[in-house]
Amino acid sequence: MLEDGRISSRQATFLMSTMIIATVVLFVPSITAKYARQDAWLSIIAAILAGLLIARLATTLGLRYPDKSIFEYPEDILGKWPGKLVGLLYVCWFLHLNAEVIREYGSFMVTAFMPETPIIVFILVVVSIAAYATINGLEVFSRANEIFLPLIVGSVIILFILALGQMNFHMLLPMFDAEPEDVLKGAIAPEGWFGEVAVITVLIPYLNKPREAHRVGALAVLTCGGLLLLDAVGIIALFGPNLVEAWLITTLNGARMIIVASFIERLEAVIMIIWVTGGLIKITVFYWAAALGSAQLLKLKDYRPLVVPIGTVLVSLSTLLHPNISDLLQFLTSVWPPYAIIVFEAGLPLLLLTVSLARGIRGARV
Amino acid sequence: MRRVTRHIKGGCRNKAKIPPGSSNKDSSAELDESLLLTENLTTNLFRIKQFLIDCSDIVYREFLFAQREDIRLVMIYTDGLADKSQLSDQIMRALSLELPLSAPQADITRSGAYHLIKERGVCVHQIKETNRLDEIIEAILSGDTVLLVEGNSTAIINGARGWESRSISEPDTEVIVRGPREAFVENLSTNTAMLRRKLKSHLLKIEALRLGRISKTDVVIIYIKGVANEKLVTEVKRRLRKIDLDGILGSGYIEELIEDNPWSPFPQINHTERPDRMAARLLEGRVGIMVDGTPFALTVPNVFIEYLQAPEDYYERFYFATGVRIIRFAALVLSLTAPSLYVAIITFHQEMLPTPLLLSIAAQRESVPYPAIFEVLFMELSFEILREAGIRLPRQIGQAVSIVGALIIGEAAVRAGLVASATVIVVAITGISSFVFFYSASIAIRMLRFPIMMASAALGLFGLISSIIVLVLHLCSLRSFGIPYLSPVAPISVGDMKDVVLRVPWWAMYNRPRLIGWKNPRRLGPEQKPDFPEVKNRGGAGDA
Repeated sequence: MLEDGRISSRQATFLMSTMIIATVVLFVPSITAKYARQDAWLSIIAAILAGLLIARLATTLGLRYPDKSIFEYPEDILGKWPGKLVGLLYVCWFLHLNAEVIREYGSFMVTAFMPETPIIVFILVVVSIAAYATINGLEVFSRANEIFLPLIVGSVIILFILALGQMNFHMLLPMFDAEPEDVLKGAIAPEGWFGEVAVITVLIPYLNKPREAHRVGALAVLTCGGLLLLDAVGIIALFGPNLVEAWLITTLNGARMIIVASFIERLEAVIMIIWVTGGLIKITVFYWAAALGSAQLLKLKDYRPLVVPIGTVLVSLSTLLHPNISDLLQFLTSVWPPYAIIVFEAGLPLLLLTVSLARGIRGARV
Repeated sequence: MRRVTRHIKGGCRNKAKIPPGSSNKDSSAELDESLLLTENLTTNLFRIKQFLIDCSDIVYREFLFAQREDIRLVMIYTDGLADKSQLSDQIMRALSLELPLSAPQADITRSGAYHLIKERGVCVHQIKETNRLDEIIEAILSGDTVLLVEGNSTAIINGARGWESRSISEPDTEVIVRGPREAFVENLSTNTAMLRRKLKSHLLKIEALRLGRISKTDVVIIYIKGVANEKLVTEVKRRLRKIDLDGILGSGYIEELIEDNPWSPFPQINHTERPDRMAARLLEGRVGIMVDGTPFALTVPNVFIEYLQAPEDYYERFYFATGVRIIRFAALVLSLTAPSLYVAIITFHQEMLPTPLLLSIAAQRESVPYPAIFEVLFMELSFEILREAGIRLPRQIGQAVSIVGALIIGEAAVRAGLVASATVIVVAITGISSFVFFYSASIAIRMLRFPIMMASAALGLFGLISSIIVLVLHLCSLRSFGIPYLSPVAPISVGDMKDVVLRVPWWAMYNRPRLIGWKNPRRLGPEQKPDFPEVKNRGGAGDA
């Protein structure tokens, strides 16, 4: 095996939760509110249900080949070269996805906190740290994440509680006002994020109890869904749907609103902590997946020599992808979710599962 | 072991230069004649003297057995290591004067002398026989006394050791208010005895080993059989046997030679000078290593949380212990991040401070010509220098110098406009915080503060958080004898949370730490929670 670490079900759940939460709470509320207005929470619930389906699909597929990752079993299902092509597509997708995340990461730091620092500084720093984590292996960053996730979840909940004083829940009225079509449109963006749970297809061979994969996927989606729901409801209650859709990063503005007892104020630093740690874990997971995938496709003995080359690809890709943050957000809103969901999160896994069922082949049982 | 064997062979070839190595029984077949004693006393004595040439502290005392001119005895020992009163009373007087009075003169023959000496003559508790020169040399140098008998190719090693040593005193580095007050000393046998007094069980095993090519230091591995994992014990032994160094002068030498991640700034092997702490760790399933000549005993595996636990936590009430633990965690975070946070906020994120505070700090810094990072570095460095000076100076002057130095540097530096007074406060808090937890860990934290400060000066809060993330990743990558360094926090082990931030009462401390003591998990019997209904119903024992 390329990666000799094994992680527990809890660690896997934590890892995927952090991976999704970190970015979802920042950008998604405003995208969803654009379509579903004050009924954004309905969209999110719809997205959670769809996310559960995707998770189920990914784990069902993965558990047919519990000792192989999504880079390997397409070869068994589709034959050598088509299979390799699918594996390659996934590697590219993880690279692309990661480059987008890194770009979001840098743009957010520049826009929200340090406008005078060039974005490349943040990108370089975060890619170096992610490379360090990737070299250390799955076990190490899973363990580190066990410290980060409670911090992240705790901070989100504390921020929500502190902001309660300024919230006006009348903003959520009238309920069920949005057209069903708009609710579904609003659900697409969060669904694109929840669909990232498809990365479990890479993790399954490294779980110490692969049988629990279904539960891992479902729990991860539910945890993130719950937090996103809390976040979206809180933000809409703070600002109302009009302001929410107007801002880029509403959660940050939400944290800025908090003033408790006239000395606990300006808590956006907490948002930065959530973002920097969570974003880093997310980048690391995809980084690791891309490195592992390339090594498995090329039948290498170790993925570590690929870490630095992949890092340079990530740095350059993330700087070249978008000219500015508006372009990035436009892409994230309208292009990314359908592309990710239709091709990689649902489409290809469904295809693989169908062919595998039709041909009646499966891997070793555990 | 292979190396030792080779060493003995080397000793045979150039025996004048290198004294023979170890008492390794396995290689006795390979020994040549020149390392065995002969029946001729003069030859034996000559060869021993050849090995110990120019060692002026070796004493050779020749005397006669039972006043018989034909049976000469030689007693060899190292001056200062052997108990002289025992030697003169129990060996010399017994053999030359007292034995002939009790034994019939006819029994005393040249051939029977040896047997008589061994069985009836020598009044020493530990004796051992050998016919090997290397064992004799080693025994002499370890403090034993060797008795050579005319006409016999076997020597008697008498364990009459006795040398000057420090008496047991209070621990210097791990001071507590309530609890046992004794600390280990430099003498290994005193230390093992202290431990044996705490754990009077045949399951407490103390296995001996000898390390160091020249120093030949006694090292013991201590564990509780049935509680410690055998694989761990074997692994400890394997790593210790691998050590091939000329001298082991302290447990720190061993620590650096057997740890899992030699490049990490964090110590991965814990040490203590308190027998109670050592006993507690053995009871959790850890393995101890004690080295002769140092009061610091090692325990493995070590996890980071141990540095935030003090022995007193277990002697005081659990509410208090939990509260103190929280303070220690806060101190850990402060000592690592306080100066960096200050630099980051002053340099990049002024908006995070409440306006009145910001104004006051700005007013203080108005006269300071340097950037915040320079101020903080300057103060931190002078603080470290003061602290180092405080340790090295003679104890009486040390404290005075560091207090006065800190006052003058703080006050004068502010007046001179070199630093803002807020900086002095931050540096002081950092310094005090780093004294709160265990010294070895605080050294690593003290060092790591500086790179984190640099990162914060360059990238503000982002730099601070990033460096903390790198630190956490590094800590997560460490293992100590296979146990993840940050356990039970990462990987989470819910059952072990009872002794991390919380310290649950003893009646709820059901299990040993899961990763370390899994072999024999239960440490508490059933129904240990105090519950005495008959007393309660009567309204207290006092009323009865």
